[in-house]
Amino acid sequence: MAINKKALRCAIALAGVSAFALTACTGPSGGTPSNGASGTASTIAYGTTDKVTALDPAGSYDNGSFMVMNQIFPFLLNSKPGGADPVPDIAESASFTKPTEYTVKLKADLKWANGHTLDSKDVKFSFDRQVKIKDPNGPSSLLTNIDSISTPDAQTVVFTLKQANDQTFAQILSSPAGPIVDDEVFPADKLLSDEDIVKAKAFHGQYTIESYNKNTLVSLKPYADYKGVLDKAANGGATIKYYTDQSNMKLDIQQGNLDVANRSLSATDIEDLKKDSKVKVHVGPGGEMRYIVFNYNVMPFGAKTADADPAKAHAVRQAVAHLVDRQAIADQVYKGTYLPLWSNVPSGFVGANESFKELYGEDGKPSEDKAKQVLSDAGVSTPVTIKLQYNPDHYGKSSGDEYAMVKDQLEKSGLFKVDLQSTEWVTYNKASKADTYPVHQLGWFPDFSDSDNYLTPFFPKGGFMNNHYSNAEVDQLIAKQLTESDKATREKDIQDVQKLLAEDISTLPLLQGAQVAVAGASVKGVESTLDASFKFRLGSVSK
Amino acid sequence: MATLIEAETPDVLGPAAPKRGGGGVGRYILVRFLLIFPTIFILVTLVFFLMRITGDPITAALGGRLPQDQLDARIHEAGYDRPILVQYFEYLGQIATGNFGTTLSDRRPVVEMLATFGTATLELAINSLVVALLIGIPLGMIAAHRRDRTPDALLRFFAILCYATPVFFAGLLLKLTFSVALGWLPVSGRASTNTELAMSQLAAPSGIYWLDALRSGNYQALGDIAAHSVLPAVALGLLTAGVFLRLVRTNLIGTLGKDYVEAGRSRGVSEFRLVTKHAYKPALIPIITVMGLQIALMLGGAVLTETTFEWKGLGFQLAQYLTARDFVAVQGIVMLLAVIVAVTNFVVDIVAAIIDPRVRY
Amino acid sequence: MSDTTTAALQPTASRKAPLLDRLPVTSHIRQSVGLQRTMLLIGVSLTGLFLLAAVFAPLLAPYGYAQISDAAGTFPAQAAPGGKHPWGTTVGGYDVLSRVLWGSQTAATVIVVSVAMSIFVGVALGLLSGYFGGWLDRILVVIADAIYAFPSLLLAIVMSIVISQGQSSFWGGILACSISITVVFVPQYFRVIRAETIRLKAEPFVESAMVVGASSWRIMGRHIFKNATRTLPLIFTLNSSEAILTLAGLGFLGFGIEPTSAAEWGFDLNKALADTTSGIWWTGVFPGVAIVLSVLGLTLVGESMNDLNDPRLRGRRRAGSKRTGGKAEKAGKP
Repeated sequence: MAINKKALRCAIALAGVSAFALTACTGPSGGTPSNGASGTASTIAYGTTDKVTALDPAGSYDNGSFMVMNQIFPFLLNSKPGGADPVPDIAESASFTKPTEYTVKLKADLKWANGHTLDSKDVKFSFDRQVKIKDPNGPSSLLTNIDSISTPDAQTVVFTLKQANDQTFAQILSSPAGPIVDDEVFPADKLLSDEDIVKAKAFHGQYTIESYNKNTLVSLKPYADYKGVLDKAANGGATIKYYTDQSNMKLDIQQGNLDVANRSLSATDIEDLKKDSKVKVHVGPGGEMRYIVFNYNVMPFGAKTADADPAKAHAVRQAVAHLVDRQAIADQVYKGTYLPLWSNVPSGFVGANESFKELYGEDGKPSEDKAKQVLSDAGVSTPVTIKLQYNPDHYGKSSGDEYAMVKDQLEKSGLFKVDLQSTEWVTYNKASKADTYPVHQLGWFPDFSDSDNYLTPFFPKGGFMNNHYSNAEVDQLIAKQLTESDKATREKDIQDVQKLLAEDISTLPLLQGAQVAVAGASVKGVESTLDASFKFRLGSVSK
Repeated sequence: MATLIEAETPDVLGPAAPKRGGGGVGRYILVRFLLIFPTIFILVTLVFFLMRITGDPITAALGGRLPQDQLDARIHEAGYDRPILVQYFEYLGQIATGNFGTTLSDRRPVVEMLATFGTATLELAINSLVVALLIGIPLGMIAAHRRDRTPDALLRFFAILCYATPVFFAGLLLKLTFSVALGWLPVSGRASTNTELAMSQLAAPSGIYWLDALRSGNYQALGDIAAHSVLPAVALGLLTAGVFLRLVRTNLIGTLGKDYVEAGRSRGVSEFRLVTKHAYKPALIPIITVMGLQIALMLGGAVLTETTFEWKGLGFQLAQYLTARDFVAVQGIVMLLAVIVAVTNFVVDIVAAIIDPRVRY
Repeated sequence: MSDTTTAALQPTASRKAPLLDRLPVTSHIRQSVGLQRTMLLIGVSLTGLFLLAAVFAPLLAPYGYAQISDAAGTFPAQAAPGGKHPWGTTVGGYDVLSRVLWGSQTAATVIVVSVAMSIFVGVALGLLSGYFGGWLDRILVVIADAIYAFPSLLLAIVMSIVISQGQSSFWGGILACSISITVVFVPQYFRVIRAETIRLKAEPFVESAMVVGASSWRIMGRHIFKNATRTLPLIFTLNSSEAILTLAGLGFLGFGIEPTSAAEWGFDLNKALADTTSGIWWTGVFPGVAIVLSVLGLTLVGESMNDLNDPRLRGRRRAGSKRTGGKAEKAGKP
């Protein structure tokens, strides 16, 4: 019958499609990242879900961009794998020569990958440029302490600071504001596009960029004339592959298309990967922090509410602190990729302690009795209604689960009724700073690895959160530690601040993130770069 | 997805306006061409104002780490606090002079960004259109011919199932089956690392990978690209295939009942010839029309497909830029989409008018 | 509206037929035969299931949509189906069965709100535009065409960002999604109603009413409106399925409703992505299947109604049929 002939033709057409699929399968499925057979050391394939805003240091202030900058640009000071202490990178020495003068001596004969000379002129140019461009997306606000920069000779740079003995200055020089750029390539008053940077080969890092497909694929080649503090790259090159969906990245690392997957995999993915013998999950200290902010004006019994009463407001904060079960959230929602955080300064940083653990709950467990006690002592009638806000799209998909648990923990006691709501990020941000949210979620990723980065931005004058917290003693101690050159004294100051902060509870620290990188079982060197500097150095990785 | 209705209720949407006498094809084309501009203008204007209501890119990027006064200073620096009409006319002036700007959240020239992601989406659209046609048209013909019998029932059910399954769910199932469980096809992406590198080193790439691979004679890359294309193309293609199947069936049934087909049948022309020759050609007109309209559906479905399969194209990128409040990028993408949609509709209308003069008005 | 629908579709039917038989869907069932009836019935039962779940979610669901603990303690995370949680739990400890059931309520609410708003706005604008014509008509047509042509999901995303600025409470989220979908739908209703209005305006009975001196509003209200709305049940059904898909798409891309405000299938599916690659299938499959089945049901109803309305496609009851009804009916139940 005719129709059968027709059907046959259809079948052939369909078979054609599948034949197409079959021949396709015979191709290099997924492709192997290593073409190491030819070279001495093989290429490393690195995957991430972070994004690059701009390679130009003056135009970006985010993890994704900074990760690439760390591979290709020099710093005056940088840290070596394994630690976060800044040591001279392209500098020979760097120190305070006067309280307000920070002098850096550069190594001799430094060359950019394009052959241009790298000297003090480039350094001065880089910082002046940041401040001058003041790009809305740039990190120039980290450089506010620089008064002026002079270059007595080609090898010497002198920074004159506004505030003497700034203990964070060395860290700032290794922060997102710190990469040095080529003054013969970059314009002084505007940003340079990524493509132009790549074309001009304005690099001096462990790597240079060979090919650049923004936020898709970047291919790096070791730079032979690199003279910084890091070792020569341990591999024959690296590719950075950008993902938008965590589970795709997870499948690629499982199938061997990636050697390292970092920032970020979901907790469920990581737990599953731990069971996979083909990959290894590496965990390092993390500086990421999740916390709850109390707005002193509009929280229950806050200064601008009808029944304002500072003592009652304080009792409410204390009761919340007694009730939250950090361990439960870390275990259930984050499966150990976040750990309980017991102070405003995360563990691993200078002077960090566990001030909240000492003051609230029972040995790290929540305590309903203590919460009840503190509320009844202050004469607060229960249940207290709390409007709790979180943001679902900026701090990872798990925020919803995290705050559902917080709500549950507070309500279980019968002391609170929680009205939990979420708002999209931009609106959330504006509203949270405009006294709209009585109690709300925030997170933090440090600009540089120093305790001060968890204090100065947050607490003097209500900090960037604008939560109207104010305690003269805290302000004074924070200012003091910032310029205290004696290490032991500074540590003591920082500990004291944390104690005061735990008593007041301007913010309630909840969780501290760990750095998690998943690597193929035979990949070496990942462990060493997952340190407190939060810089992933591709050059440390080999296989 | 609006197309479903378009396809199913041709009579309802038919008499869009009263027929006007006179006016040749030329006049009709001109009028129809001029209508492209208000369409684009309206969409661009809408998006401009909608985006300004929703916040600014600086707060989106740095709100979590800077105090409000510093944010305000940066916002002022960027000029986002100026009166919205001033910004609007400035923007109109810029696009009138062909200056589309640089994206705010990842600093790319808009034109270049559109070229990069546009070609990716175009490739996905072509691939899935091929799948849709290969599946939809033959199956639709079978369904029409075996009308109201078992094959028809199964095929129609299949078509509705295709429509009812969200692309991301179908994509997930396909991915789990063919790449995770069976390991036949890659999980995601447009090509593997080596191929991507080879593609980026070409002198004048078109951006459509299989075309570039063909032109450079890199057949290994071509295989790799094909392997990566299969699942996304099937996921998105199936959705459209369902629409085509129903459309072909409906229109064939319509023409198969026509007098001249009946006449052919009575003269003893075989059913096969009736379906493929006599009835098929007139039924093609609405199919071409809807194919054009499918572009909009494809672009919409592409957002979800692109997300599921890590296919870095326009739709997905639009979602990203929206979250970042990147006005410039969003306006650029919307403008391009508006142009594509308006031009496609224009072409479809002209083709329809040339084929069937009664359409003109 | 419903009685004119039937009257228009079944010009031969008696005006005095029982109300039940004159309602859109029931009349279609009566009218249908064989295969078409099977498809329609499958559609109606799936849709009925969906609506039942939506209405009785509070009774049917073992737990609340945002409940993560009960008297016995906190729910386990990602527990496999069985025991206290027949369909398992999610990473956050939500009960999957409960969330799927509550999700039908969210979907149904969004459908009702968005389609009601679309009909109201679309019909009103379509009537005005079609009846009065002129500049108003031209401007509205160009705007509607521009919006109609634009990819609907992308439009919905833009709208959801604009609208969801405030808190995402249950109604906040529902409204944001509904309005986003409404914006997409209005042009469709507008086009249909406008076209019908224009067609009917030229009909003799409207002209005669004008001659008699009836006011414009009366003519619109009585004659055009009644006749123009006969295709609406069809569009309503098809739009409902589209609304579910758009809502799920929004949720999947992260522009939907948060889990603490309401249960939403697309959102749950998005959250389940990481699970599915780790062998935890139950968090994704159940909401996914829920979407497929409810859309399938609604589309089957809509498709069958469309076929029955279209004389070309109506089941060949009499002439030249080679098939037997029974055979087709069996085939219709895959």
